[in-house]
Amino acid sequence: MPEFTKPYESRWQAFLLLLPTFAVLIAFLYYPGVETFRLSLQQTILLGTRKTFVGLDNYVSLFTSSAYHWSFAISVAFAAVVVIGTLAASLFVAYLLFQVDVGSSTYLIAAIWPYALPTAVAASVLLFLLHPSLGIITFVLESLTGTSLEWFTNGPQAFAIVALVAIWKQLGYNIIFMVAALNNIPETLTESAKLDGVGHLKMLYRVYVPLMSPTLVFLVVMNTIYAFFQTFPLVDLMTSGGPNEATNLLIFKLYRDAFEFSNLGLASAESVVLFAIVAILMYVQLRLSESYTTYA
Amino acid sequence: MSDIHIDGLTKQFDDVTAVDDISLDIDSGEFLVFVGPSGCGKSTTLRMIAGLESITSGELRIGERRVNELAPKERSIAMVFQNYALYPHMTGAENMKFGMKSVSDYTDDEIDERVREAAEILDIPELLERKPKELSGGERQRVAIGRAIVREPDVFLLDEPLSNLDAKLRVQMRAELLQLHREIDATTLYVTHDQTEAMTLGDRVAVLNDGQIEQVDPPQVLYDYPATRFVAEFIGSPAMNVVPIELHGDGDGVSARHEAFDLPLPDAGDLAGHSGGASLGVRPEDVSLARNVDGERWTFEAEVSVTEPLGESLLLHCLIGDDEIHVKAEARSEINAGDVIELGVDEERLHVFDESGDAIYHSSPRERTAEDVETRAEH
Amino acid sequence: MATSSTSESTLARLLPEDVDAEQAVIHGGLVLSIFLMGLPLLLALIMSTQNTTEVYQVTNVGIGSEGLSNYGTVLGEYNFGQYMINSVVMSIIIVVGKVTLSLFAALALVYYRFPYERAVFMFILLTLLLPVPVRIVPLFDLMARLGWGNTLMAITGPYIASATAVFLFRQHFMAIPASLVENAHLDGVGPLTFLWKVLIPMSKGMIAGVSVITFIYAWNQYLWPLIIMTDQSKQVVQVGLRFLQAASQSGLTRWGIIMAGAVIALLPPLAVLIVLHKPLLETLAIQQK
Repeated sequence: MPEFTKPYESRWQAFLLLLPTFAVLIAFLYYPGVETFRLSLQQTILLGTRKTFVGLDNYVSLFTSSAYHWSFAISVAFAAVVVIGTLAASLFVAYLLFQVDVGSSTYLIAAIWPYALPTAVAASVLLFLLHPSLGIITFVLESLTGTSLEWFTNGPQAFAIVALVAIWKQLGYNIIFMVAALNNIPETLTESAKLDGVGHLKMLYRVYVPLMSPTLVFLVVMNTIYAFFQTFPLVDLMTSGGPNEATNLLIFKLYRDAFEFSNLGLASAESVVLFAIVAILMYVQLRLSESYTTYA
Repeated sequence: MSDIHIDGLTKQFDDVTAVDDISLDIDSGEFLVFVGPSGCGKSTTLRMIAGLESITSGELRIGERRVNELAPKERSIAMVFQNYALYPHMTGAENMKFGMKSVSDYTDDEIDERVREAAEILDIPELLERKPKELSGGERQRVAIGRAIVREPDVFLLDEPLSNLDAKLRVQMRAELLQLHREIDATTLYVTHDQTEAMTLGDRVAVLNDGQIEQVDPPQVLYDYPATRFVAEFIGSPAMNVVPIELHGDGDGVSARHEAFDLPLPDAGDLAGHSGGASLGVRPEDVSLARNVDGERWTFEAEVSVTEPLGESLLLHCLIGDDEIHVKAEARSEINAGDVIELGVDEERLHVFDESGDAIYHSSPRERTAEDVETRAEH
Repeated sequence: MATSSTSESTLARLLPEDVDAEQAVIHGGLVLSIFLMGLPLLLALIMSTQNTTEVYQVTNVGIGSEGLSNYGTVLGEYNFGQYMINSVVMSIIIVVGKVTLSLFAALALVYYRFPYERAVFMFILLTLLLPVPVRIVPLFDLMARLGWGNTLMAITGPYIASATAVFLFRQHFMAIPASLVENAHLDGVGPLTFLWKVLIPMSKGMIAGVSVITFIYAWNQYLWPLIIMTDQSKQVVQVGLRFLQAASQSGLTRWGIIMAGAVIALLPPLAVLIVLHKPLLETLAIQQK
């Protein structure tokens, strides 16, 4: 809270200033948010014209559906791969940026640009460059490793490719935060460790990573949310959930259940599960950031 | 110009009483300084007068008007803040003008004219077109003061205005503030934690502690006749020595007994009833080496533990019994730590405080200066 | 404690050749990483100049015979000109709307005294728990009932209020020195004057930062426009990339055209990022808190 006495007292004015934000949040966020719960207890028949209350039926069919189990499992695996891959690659680049003596601001822009990369653009570009028969990168990889990339038909390969594109797009965001966190570390800590002759890798794992941990936790949460919620264009443009459901992430399954199969009740139940995932992640982030502030 | 009447002013923050039932009348045109340690309530008092804090209870009048419920802009006050409070994106002139439209009915031309005049008074016309980041600390504070002058308020409120300046500039600005006060002659309330600033600036100084006023008096009276032990120790540097004593009365008079001395107190008839625990106060400059004292004055022994050359004098830390006292000796005196020296005191400058900290005795009675007080206030 | 051996190795570390060698490795590592991150884009640029025959020669990575004409084709024949306009209009409405609404809300939260302030702020913050996929079915229903399908309102309305922007402006306002606020309070400066003459000029960097974040976020929207905009001519450019996948010539996908479309769809946010990276970085540094 600010340490000054608030200068304005008119409640009427405060209400007017908050009104537009509240109107939008209530109409387009809270109302549909609450409706999701209600719809998840209904079944829609005859193309949405009639709805009947079915209690927890939608949840029951969701939790007993092996397709949903599969989608859930690969979404969790996908999030894990994306989070770990993004953090590792970003940390590598961020640490180099932190260590470099000249040109760091130029390097920084050259390293964070993927923040502006639209997911659909990333998907379109790599769909072509990694195309099993036409992709130049595929060609190089195949000649180098002697294996063949058949990710249009090979599930695990498709999963890996989509994850790779997801990581690529997310690098910029992560590098921004990691460089900021590294620059926030008091220089005296770096200097005293240097005087003791601590090597670069050891510095990273023993000094910097522990000191960056609040940022790393934040990034784990944000990257997980990203992997669950913002990867729809990747699946939609690159694999359509295939091959063999190998990339049928929850977000893609939700889209299809709702807007291709018009199973609105079931889709709403899937939305509620997604809500639970965000809620847990936000709660984790809140608790951990609180515990870090008490440390500091 | 207006006088200010404060009656039972109290500020309660949740369960903390920041200002506790303060009453004070400030004359029109007076320069009054609130001084005290941090958290004593001096800033809160000023902010209640400004209207930045609501008043929990009590009454505040500026001139004849009760202003408790008035918005700040209706109180005819202007305030200068410690950190200058200049808007970084506005030039000096824009800073001085900003808000003038809402606080007054002046036309643009009149406002420009006032800004020019204020800049003349403060000798800063060349700063008007510069932004705060192009100004030094002293220049910023001048613009901030100009901002207050432009408003031609009845009352100037200054909250630690010199605290962010370096020592040399502070002394210079102090003199300028005094001169400015003489020129515009407005009622001025000034808050500071620095007792030197308080002593040099105030017509009267109000010493605050724990949300209460300990004493309000002209600076010299405050120094010579501290009403409480807190004031005695807060005003003056190095601080007054205060040592525990037993008051002991017999037929010949009253004496102050300490394990290391037994000091007869002159004209202490009033203390006859007060036998028991008390403390004796004497300023470091009122203690002197016995060899410098004429005649057969009363003396006692002390052991020097530390010597601090202050340049114009030599400050001695001396042990008498278990208590430490400070003595201002002549500069270049040949005294070293470990020496045992004979000390005498100026018997005209002794103070005794009772167990609650109230002064119960000054060896030269205060009434003598009552006329001085009158003359000062009239001035 | 520093023994003679550690002080020797410290000395060795500080020798200039050593530092130079170390820096050479760091520069090398950076150039390589940045090259790898940028490589797909570089290849996309090259391929966007090739005609379909050249594209199908996998190892042909030279500048193609189409030059920039694929860009003309995608903008005209494939309607990307229209999609780009739609995306620009949508993004600008969202940026301006979100910044304006959030400034108003933050003004009320920081400078007005009213009951349940904390609850009001929490009410705004809690919307972080409601990303589009959580409310997508009812939102779609609502738009249908409002008759907003295929309108700009549908793709901008739900985005013009935001917990993040309100949070950032609130943080920034609270960091403005109290005395500057009190100065205005003493003069009785009105709230809109205060917002316009003091808060906005003092928040330029933050406003720029929030605008960049919002622009990039709005430009990236894909799922919601895909669902709610059924009229192709009103679609945004990201979904336009989806339509482009059908681009084919005598049974062969026109990848040169698709790459040109991808490059076009990337340019606006990339330009915004490069021009405004400073305020963006400063703003994101606050967001984490």
